[in-house]
Amino acid sequence: MIDQFLLGLSVVLQPEILMYAFIGVFIGQLIGVLPGIGAITAISLLLPVTFYLDATTSMIMLAGIYYGSQYGGSIASILLNLPGTPSSVVTCLEGYPLAQRGRAGLALFVAACSSFVGGIVGVAILVLAAIPMTIIALRFGAPEYAMLVILGLLAASLIGTGSQIRSFAMVLLGIALGLVGADATTGYYRFVAMPEMADGISLVSLAMGLFGVSEIIRNASRRSPPGPALSITMRDVFPTRAEARSLVLPIVRGSGIGSFFGALPGTGAAIASFMAYAMERRFSRTPEKFGKGHLPGLAAPESANNAAAQTGFIPTLTLGIPGDAVMALIIGALILNGIIPGPRLAVDQPELFWGVIASFFVGNIILLLINIPLIKLWVLLLRVPYQKLYPVIIVMICVGVYSHRTSITDVVLTLAFGVLGYLMKNYRFEPAPVMLGFVLGPLLEDNFRRTMLLYGGDFTIFLTRPISAMLVACSAVLIVLALWSGISAMRKPVHSTP
Amino acid sequence: MQSATQDWPGTTRRALSGGVLLVAGLVMLMICWSYPVGNLTQMGPGYIPRVVGFLICALAVAIIAIDVATPEAAQAGRMHPRGLIFVSTAILLFAGLIDIAGLVPSMFLAVVVSMFADDEARPLPVLIYACLATLGGWLLFLVVLELPIPAFWR
Repeated sequence: MIDQFLLGLSVVLQPEILMYAFIGVFIGQLIGVLPGIGAITAISLLLPVTFYLDATTSMIMLAGIYYGSQYGGSIASILLNLPGTPSSVVTCLEGYPLAQRGRAGLALFVAACSSFVGGIVGVAILVLAAIPMTIIALRFGAPEYAMLVILGLLAASLIGTGSQIRSFAMVLLGIALGLVGADATTGYYRFVAMPEMADGISLVSLAMGLFGVSEIIRNASRRSPPGPALSITMRDVFPTRAEARSLVLPIVRGSGIGSFFGALPGTGAAIASFMAYAMERRFSRTPEKFGKGHLPGLAAPESANNAAAQTGFIPTLTLGIPGDAVMALIIGALILNGIIPGPRLAVDQPELFWGVIASFFVGNIILLLINIPLIKLWVLLLRVPYQKLYPVIIVMICVGVYSHRTSITDVVLTLAFGVLGYLMKNYRFEPAPVMLGFVLGPLLEDNFRRTMLLYGGDFTIFLTRPISAMLVACSAVLIVLALWSGISAMRKPVHSTP
Repeated sequence: MQSATQDWPGTTRRALSGGVLLVAGLVMLMICWSYPVGNLTQMGPGYIPRVVGFLICALAVAIIAIDVATPEAAQAGRMHPRGLIFVSTAILLFAGLIDIAGLVPSMFLAVVVSMFADDEARPLPVLIYACLATLGGWLLFLVVLELPIPAFWR
């Protein structure tokens, strides 16, 4: 394992690849800082660029955008109370009160350090888990893949915020959109309204529409608050010894929670940070301090989302199953570059597999180094009004989608998905499960059909194969937990009303 | 806006989002009904679409039931008509012009039109900004990235 990691490091430390790793994490941090542009938009914009790079380099760059945005997201949360990424919503709760008390420098420093520790813990777990997971994954057959996808889709709709039944409906809508085009087994055209749709709906169109265009429609006339006037001196940045000691355990717990939820398919950094915050609050001896600028409440979710951003690559790289919407896009990029992610990846392309993993280690160090010294630059960026940004984003979306397949239909479809995503959010339907259903749907159909064909339509096969049975058990536990929490949530208002 | 939506009967308004989903599920079922279904061991291309369609309809009915039963949960968010109109027009203009007029005019128009999604946009700053943005786009897409798109009509 050490040998493979060193092989990976030797790949990353080539000057050209190192440069793309730096570009990736820098862009990631940049778009993480800017509210309204997420990692999904940035990665879809850069997809066309990756056709000119080899697979390893593009993967390293795109992954860098993802975990880099987790660092940047905390900056806007702390300074402006605006979450730059979905996973930094809880960072606002503790970070912004700290900034209001004049301790923004401390909050930023603690956020950066916990992010770094979380990220490194996540990378370490990824390195440790990669080989065992690949060995297990090589024993995966069609039933296991089908069950794992079902577990991931269930987790995506049952864990997290918002209505579970609505999320599940959106997963199904995503699967339905994924059905468009030629059927993989028989070549039969399904739901093809125009000849341009014969290849299916483009992943880029769907992602840019649901996450990019819809947010622009919503925020075009939003007035952003004036950027903070900030003068950070080195003196305010460092925590006192007692404060530093109080952070050790929350960071360890946050990294643990983050690593777990990141590795679970269907849940990602956003859910991990929520869970870490809730957990920290529940087990704290001073829960009344939360919400007023309590440092452990800042450190735990910050380490959790960065750990999750790294361990999220465990199912992505070893099984080819994305954990969340961003991972789905990264898998799409790999496939577009002619590489099928899955258990064979580590065996057939060790340079790519370990190079990407080692790049996370290097990338986290780069992020820690550029985070604090460049804080003035990030603050300056936050002063750029959204009205100057969004027209440029629209043009980048249009050109990105158009150049991807030179298709006008794709541009129009992007707009359609943008309006759809906008309306969905207005009626409290989340767009992320759609994306996951879209990518995982074809995998599910293919493996389910193959299972039924191989085992003569016998459903007990899912219970008699050990790995598959374990996955069934996990899904059952998830459903029971969800029902239980749903029922107890329904009971609560009855008790509280006299 | 407010008065127009309040004229609707409350139940209809609350059932709207679930209802649209139900219609989508039914349309999906209607389209895929003619696809060959096969059986469980030999699934045809129509098997999974039919299952997914039925599931969507079932969930849509459940969502309607929940939304109608709990009025406070069924509140819709505020609409942004200006954003919808100008952003849509900008993207449609781009799609319509890119093959005819080339990248530079399409980018310019998309920026100009989309900027009016902001209700405080003024013509002169918009024009100046659009020129700068188009120049930047030309540099990025055609000079740096060398995308194979013509800059102007041929």
